[in-house]
Amino acid sequence: MSDILFVFSQPPHGRINAQEGFDALLMGSAFAECAVLFIGEGVLQLVNHQQPEAQGFKNYTLGFSALKDYGVSRIACSQSALNHYGLVEDDLIIPVETLDADCQRQWLSDFKKVLTF
Amino acid sequence: MILHTINKTSALAKCRELVATGDQVVLLEDGVNLGLEPLPFDVYAIAGDAQARGLAAKLGETKLISYVDLVKMTAAADKVCAWF
Amino acid sequence: MKILINVYGAPYSSSACVSALNYAEAAIDSGHEILRVFFYHDGVYAANALASPPQDEMNLTLRWQKLALDHNLDMVACIASCLRRGIVDKTEAERYGKSAHNISDGFQISGLGQMIDATINADRVMTFGD
Repeated sequence: MSDILFVFSQPPHGRINAQEGFDALLMGSAFAECAVLFIGEGVLQLVNHQQPEAQGFKNYTLGFSALKDYGVSRIACSQSALNHYGLVEDDLIIPVETLDADCQRQWLSDFKKVLTF
Repeated sequence: MILHTINKTSALAKCRELVATGDQVVLLEDGVNLGLEPLPFDVYAIAGDAQARGLAAKLGETKLISYVDLVKMTAAADKVCAWF
Repeated sequence: MKILINVYGAPYSSSACVSALNYAEAAIDSGHEILRVFFYHDGVYAANALASPPQDEMNLTLRWQKLALDHNLDMVACIASCLRRGIVDKTEAERYGKSAHNISDGFQISGLGQMIDATINADRVMTFGD
């Protein structure tokens, strides 16, 4: 059983919590086998061409492309969330697996621990 | 079996699809207000949070539990998912 | 059962601290071990020694302090979250040239690794979000 599933459900930049969730994922990946699942508004973190710097925010989402180098090889998002926001693969920063609800429930079941951000 | 906790009404949308048959769901804090609405699954609610809001007698089928009960449910589950 | 308790919400603007305290007390009374209480995001405000609520309202920082003292709890506030929000110990205050430090007794400032370590080693993780 893999170690820690991070579930990201918050949109980027409105407050620091999504970025702090990503920091936790990076730290987790140094010690454990981690995966990440973006659900609900969390899929909005994956939108490409973000320009938060103009507003004074750090573009922490640039770090998503390094996740595989950190050993986070399983990166997925909710298909229904993508559909809800009218997003397709080309709109996203990185390629992700898209999961239906059954698969998302399976992911929750597959990991020893789940951390939600 | 997963124990889910929901602490506000807007968090239901996050976890609606993720609660599997056999999982347990506990409402706490402002989440107890969800006990006033039709829900897609059975829930428990922290009694103190329901009483604080004058809802102890108004939550229908929702079972009111103590924090000691919540600790027992934590032990009985494989893991806990918090929705907030 | 060994439990990690995560607290993500600030006192007063969230119920996370109250719920986490109630849960921690129930877990201890039931004979379980609290491996660590980890304060992240706005939860670090619980460690602010300068909090001075009215006498007829709960003092959550003091409640955490007392619980930690009574039961030898390991309470950690994430350093990155703390620095952003102005919760500093003596070392960090000196490092950043601040005129004062404000971390409450009973809390340690440390890294996210403490949360991950406890996540791995705990039997259960109980998170009180904001």
